[in-house]
Amino acid sequence: MTTIVLGLLVATLLATGSYMVMRRGQIKLILGLGLLTHGVNLMLFGSGALLRGATPIFKDKDNFAQELATRAFADPLPQALILTAIVISFGLTAFIVVLVSRRDALTGSDLVPGELARYINAQDPFHTAGGQDISEVLFSDASDDYDILQFELDEIYDRKEPLPVDATDTTVESSTAE
Amino acid sequence: MLELLQSIPFQPTWLALPVALPMAAAGLLLAVARLGFRQRFRLQRWIAGVVAGIHVLLALLILAHTLAGDEGARIVYQMGSWPAPFGITLIADSFTAIMLLMTALLVVAVVPYAAGTLDHHRESMGFYPLTLLLLMGMNGAYLAGDLFNLYVFFEVLLTSSFVLLTLGGTPGQINGGIRYVVLNLMASLVFLSAAGVAYGTLGTLNMAQMAQRMDIAPDAVRILLAGLMLVAFGSKAGLFPLFFWLPASYHTPHPVVTALFGGTLTKVGVYTLFRLFPLFFPGLLVAWQPLILTIAALTMLISVLAAFVQPTIRRLISFDIISQVGFMLLALGIALDPRAPVTGFALAAGIIFIVHNMLVKTALLMGGGVAELEMGSGNLGAIGGLAAKRPYLAGLFFVAAFSLAGIPPSSGFVSKLSLLQATIGVHQYWMAAVSLLVSLLTMMVMIRLWQYIFWGEFTTGHAQWTPLRKPWASWLTLGPITVLVALSLTMGIFFRPVLHVAQKAANQVLDRTGYIAAVAPLADVPVEPEFWEPPQ
Repeated sequence: MTTIVLGLLVATLLATGSYMVMRRGQIKLILGLGLLTHGVNLMLFGSGALLRGATPIFKDKDNFAQELATRAFADPLPQALILTAIVISFGLTAFIVVLVSRRDALTGSDLVPGELARYINAQDPFHTAGGQDISEVLFSDASDDYDILQFELDEIYDRKEPLPVDATDTTVESSTAE
Repeated sequence: MLELLQSIPFQPTWLALPVALPMAAAGLLLAVARLGFRQRFRLQRWIAGVVAGIHVLLALLILAHTLAGDEGARIVYQMGSWPAPFGITLIADSFTAIMLLMTALLVVAVVPYAAGTLDHHRESMGFYPLTLLLLMGMNGAYLAGDLFNLYVFFEVLLTSSFVLLTLGGTPGQINGGIRYVVLNLMASLVFLSAAGVAYGTLGTLNMAQMAQRMDIAPDAVRILLAGLMLVAFGSKAGLFPLFFWLPASYHTPHPVVTALFGGTLTKVGVYTLFRLFPLFFPGLLVAWQPLILTIAALTMLISVLAAFVQPTIRRLISFDIISQVGFMLLALGIALDPRAPVTGFALAAGIIFIVHNMLVKTALLMGGGVAELEMGSGNLGAIGGLAAKRPYLAGLFFVAAFSLAGIPPSSGFVSKLSLLQATIGVHQYWMAAVSLLVSLLTMMVMIRLWQYIFWGEFTTGHAQWTPLRKPWASWLTLGPITVLVALSLTMGIFFRPVLHVAQKAANQVLDRTGYIAAVAPLADVPVEPEFWEPPQ
């Protein structure tokens, strides 16, 4: 019973995490990665047999095998593994948060592929939008061809010079004024 | 030479040095970073270079000792004398030693290049300690004898590579860094779940004991684990549907970081595939041969075609890295084919290919990096004619590019030839044709690259040509490239001893019983079926 509940929980966490990672916002990306790591950690937790009320200490060092066979103690190894995995994923999540906040500071937006939609709109390199606002083209559900713009975005990022002022979000200025 | 090295005694305890030494040195470097301005940089460079040099000697010593005898030997160190599977096991055979040696050599080559090209900002933000931590992670991944330590060392090397990739913090690096971190983190999670599944079904994480129990495990367990590991390490190695993190990020950092990554990181993934698949799934390696060969062919073809249309130097070489990984996977795919006339020859060819690739790819990325730094842009359309200003660099780049394509006196020729012989030996004529076609395409890509950078009218991306600031910098950059290219040529000309060593290493990788006997895991831990009986 516990195993089934744990399995369902792991499946839910992994599914939710995958869905969140595939969405556009970067905060959703961070939350999704968090859910994914929790799911995998729980899976590790379930990999030692789940015993109710048993401590992870074995009493007789010389008779290890028999104690394990009679299931006199819970397996301590998965807990040690999870501890390591949690520390690692904690550090990496912190690193991603720093990266995302840095990109947010640089571009003034947390959207993944269209951070510089406004800037592209001013230049419109491929005339893809045909006169209309390119951010509508980029983020409408009907459109999935923003990939052709990905390369152009890379080009903008690879520039040595800072971005022109009119490319940044005007709401940033208004929020600092408040 | 070999006898001399073998006469030096080697304690198994010393196997911990390739992990412990760079970690201690990285800490020392962080302490040095508190010193005054000039000493800070000088001391950091020297310490990093000396530590990497010690690693080369250490790896040579391990290689000599693992080559002893007709069959070769394995060095096993059970930490704290805890018997496997309870303690931490470090194990080295000839393949491990070869990879240790190559990685240490590349770090030795990268340190002077970094001293010549890096700006003070990146140097003071800890390039050298991070490089040593990367070396520690890679060494640990080569030596690890159990799956969870492999995971931990992979994370050590990935974490240092994350910071190295974003060192400097330009918008492009942040953008590429997010993609790199997220996709690698996902692959690590797949690897971690493989470790969880392995422990839940086999009751152990020690690789030797896992190999023992894999024989009696049900098919479903084996297929699940093999699939998870193929996805996890295939993503690290840059195999066909999973390589997108690599070209999305490798063109963004400073050229010295790209050179270090391009030579080493994907090869760690390939090493792990080479180590784990023959050990755990010798049956599946035969049964899944069509799948593995298809992935190999698609990896080679798609990325070499993508390299054709890349507009900048490093984007082009990034795609070429992936295409070369396909050749290595081809070697793994045919390694256990029952039709092979000589057992292990295909894997030996794969090992030679890895060594060749680590040398030449780093040399190319270093040369391209110098061009990019001096011309102020890596955009192939905007630059050209560097041969007039830097004829020596042009010559070195030419030799490296043709070594990659596989022109005779180089290591590229011999490694591709032996791989082709192995492929034809198992009657995989389609794969032989694909690898020949990809070699031709690689040559065309390399010609295009060389022509755009060095040929024609002299033009730069910026208003004027900016040669490297320091007068000695050009020799600090050209020196390592010269050494790497010379090693590649030496390997091609004196091929017989190289093949001998690689053949011995391949036989050791394929020798499962020898590996299990060397680690000698205790047998009285109950095996999976009893372990999973519900509690009474």
